[in-house]
Amino acid sequence: MTLRRLAVAAAFALAAAAVTAAPAAAQPLRVCADPDYMPFSNRAGQGFENKLAQAVGHALGEPVTYVWRSMRGPGGFDQFLHDTLNAGRCDVVMNVPYASENVLVTRPYYVSSYVFVYAKKRKYDITSLDSPVLRDLKIGFEQDTPPETGLKLRALILHSKPFDVGDTPGESPADILAAVKSGQIGVAVTWQPSIGYFMRSYPGLVSVPLPNSRAAGTVEQYVFPMAMAARKTDTRTRDALDGAIGRNKDELQRVLRSFGVLIYTGPSDVQGAQT
Amino acid sequence: MRRVAVALFAAVTVTAAAVGYHTVAAQQRIALADMAQDSGQWVMPSQNYSATRHSALDEIKASNVGALKVAWTMSTGATRGHEGQPLVIGDTLYFESAYPNHVYAIDLSDYHIKWQYTPKQDPFAVSVACCDLVNRGVGYGDGKIIVNALDGQVIALDMNSGKPVWTVHNGDPAMGQTLTSAPLIIKDKLVVVGVSGGEFGVRGYLSAYDIKNGKRVWRAYSAGPDSDTLIGAGFSGPKNAGRSTWNGEQWKVGGGTTWGWYSYDPKLNSIYYGTGNPGTWNPTQRPGDNKWSMTIFARDADTGMAKWGYQMTPHDAWDYDGVNEMILVDLNMNGRTIPSLVHFDRNGFAYELDRRNGKLLLAKKFDPSVNWATHVDMTSGRPVVDPRYMTKAGTNVSGICPAAMGSKDQQPASYDEESGYFIVPTNHNCMDYKAFAVKYKSGFPFVGAIVKMYPGPGGNRGAVIAWDPIKGEVVWTDKERFPAWGGTLSTKGGVSFYGTMDGWFKAVDSKTGKELWKFHTPSGIIGNPISYTHGGKQYIAILSGVGGWAALGMAAGLTEPTAGLGAVNAAQDLKNYTQLGGDLVVFSL
Repeated sequence: MTLRRLAVAAAFALAAAAVTAAPAAAQPLRVCADPDYMPFSNRAGQGFENKLAQAVGHALGEPVTYVWRSMRGPGGFDQFLHDTLNAGRCDVVMNVPYASENVLVTRPYYVSSYVFVYAKKRKYDITSLDSPVLRDLKIGFEQDTPPETGLKLRALILHSKPFDVGDTPGESPADILAAVKSGQIGVAVTWQPSIGYFMRSYPGLVSVPLPNSRAAGTVEQYVFPMAMAARKTDTRTRDALDGAIGRNKDELQRVLRSFGVLIYTGPSDVQGAQT
Repeated sequence: MRRVAVALFAAVTVTAAAVGYHTVAAQQRIALADMAQDSGQWVMPSQNYSATRHSALDEIKASNVGALKVAWTMSTGATRGHEGQPLVIGDTLYFESAYPNHVYAIDLSDYHIKWQYTPKQDPFAVSVACCDLVNRGVGYGDGKIIVNALDGQVIALDMNSGKPVWTVHNGDPAMGQTLTSAPLIIKDKLVVVGVSGGEFGVRGYLSAYDIKNGKRVWRAYSAGPDSDTLIGAGFSGPKNAGRSTWNGEQWKVGGGTTWGWYSYDPKLNSIYYGTGNPGTWNPTQRPGDNKWSMTIFARDADTGMAKWGYQMTPHDAWDYDGVNEMILVDLNMNGRTIPSLVHFDRNGFAYELDRRNGKLLLAKKFDPSVNWATHVDMTSGRPVVDPRYMTKAGTNVSGICPAAMGSKDQQPASYDEESGYFIVPTNHNCMDYKAFAVKYKSGFPFVGAIVKMYPGPGGNRGAVIAWDPIKGEVVWTDKERFPAWGGTLSTKGGVSFYGTMDGWFKAVDSKTGKELWKFHTPSGIIGNPISYTHGGKQYIAILSGVGGWAALGMAAGLTEPTAGLGAVNAAQDLKNYTQLGGDLVVFSL
């Protein structure tokens, strides 16, 4: 509940001569989302952020409404936040890294990681960016993500190919899987929740989590806890979301798993292709 | 002297054709260095090999500049940042727009377009260009106009027909390499080209191509073993430092791009240029001096072999690329005339070196707010860093001056031969730096630096200053609301010209900085003024068209303060003063 929404509710209550306390429950959960960015969200409500919003809305007894804006236009996610959540047009972003700046994050509701993806039949021995076989492979990566720095630190970037799905409307996180399948690249390094949903269409591929590392002499973070976000000043909404997360942890995890999201538990996990 | 040269030039060429004394056929027989002595033309991006940007024309002077008015204008057909300048060769004016890099040849007698050329480019270049889709102009030599395209192509066009003669790929956008700088043509035979980027750990290099056929003659890397950096027996500095000052194999992605300006001393046969920041932004990930990033290099023009290298900012922690122009002048210091190189660096220090051997003559702050280093130790040549302003992992560092865009970026200064002052366009922003912050690229979490830039002490974000190279001090300061992101032109008439991001084109007294005249152009200015003559009349030309890093918010439609490596916050109010759009604007009395 934001202050602004409370004020509206109060005005409504006055106008209606304070007949009932019920209208507060009818206030919608206003979600800021991308209308065309699967597997995260789309206008048809098919993404995992849509399903998570439904679950949270249900838990709070609030109908879900959306403010749509591309996260991948000029200025990317920061500009998206600036124009939606921080402009007061909506109140919740479903999926951001825990410890994000410029927003009020909830407690994390899942943890996932960057992963290597390669053809199962290759049986590569890859457990980290220091695995020797990487020196002989063309490596696809999403630019401006932690693996880019890791590839630079090891000079592996010299035989790598950048993808820019996160800044390019219309492109799909599945593009990097297609590149592995076609042999254009030997291995991909990407954020698991972006491709888990598509992995079922690529039964010949396997994914292996990329653990955090200090091997190159500096901290490299590949595992990220993820949270929801409210506006910086909106502790009421943040508290409401935290409550919903606490009471519905299993339901949220079930939604994530149904989208192939791998919940990170440690460096030994291996996710095979799911059918 | 220059007047004599012009007269001689006219005498030599007068028989060549009926279309005027500047003819293409005649120019091809005249060495580029001699053509650059003719103040009626502007045949190199920086006017001459010494990069002085000082015109010997004096029809326009302090007493009459108030009557300056628009002579002609033309749309460039592009809206992003126009950081370059036109060339004038004979009766034709040539210029290149911002991306998509339209190139025009304009007949100065009636302003019709003789030809237009737009290169076919790899669109991925747009996604990897860091700081707007700018361009800094074309080069000329051997009857060709040399065009650098954003996607790394270098294209030689026949100057009469605009048809491509040869094309080379000097970089690959898929590896983060782009091309925004202007080429320098040396001795009518070499095309010297740099590289921009570094986003994927590009290792910077300077390349020289044969102007006849585009064949590569040499390539000198900014990091790596001496065989790559073209360091041999003739080099005055340490051996193999391009490898030994890096951790492990990080030199392979060592950065040190070469996207600024290049100058040349025909007598010493030396090319001078600066290299950019080292590979990754985060300094804790790359221990060591990271040579030869942030370095002024002198190289043999024919072989590319290094003669000397002076690293200004070892182990850069602030993104103070050392690529700004190297201006070659003879300075009279302590009773001796020294062939010198003067360089106003992003890091806020003015460096003056003996260009024969790289010996440091003077290094002083040209903006008193500079605080990352207290001074430069004249014995070691190293900056004495103030640890309070050293960026490091997990620590918020506030109030670093200058901001990452530097006390001065690529916008070139001029050397006013009349007063002996350098007229220097500067920035005046400071920054807060957070080396490690969790961020989100739509769909992908990451850890990155958050940089916030804001106006420096006094509230002005830029200034044009006059620098006395002998005393090593600022003579006058004209404060500007925004960074002075356009270059300067000084003239024998005692008037200097520059444009501002809020759209003003100004004439000031070179000796005092007093504003004598101004005109509001269609867009903000980040380009560099030139002067030429046509029909015996002096003209001043400038590209208007705001953009570049300093105006990235407007150019890319960003309003989030930390976007554009923190630059957006520093120019939020630009929209109250100007809008995007490229135009050539030309003035005369």
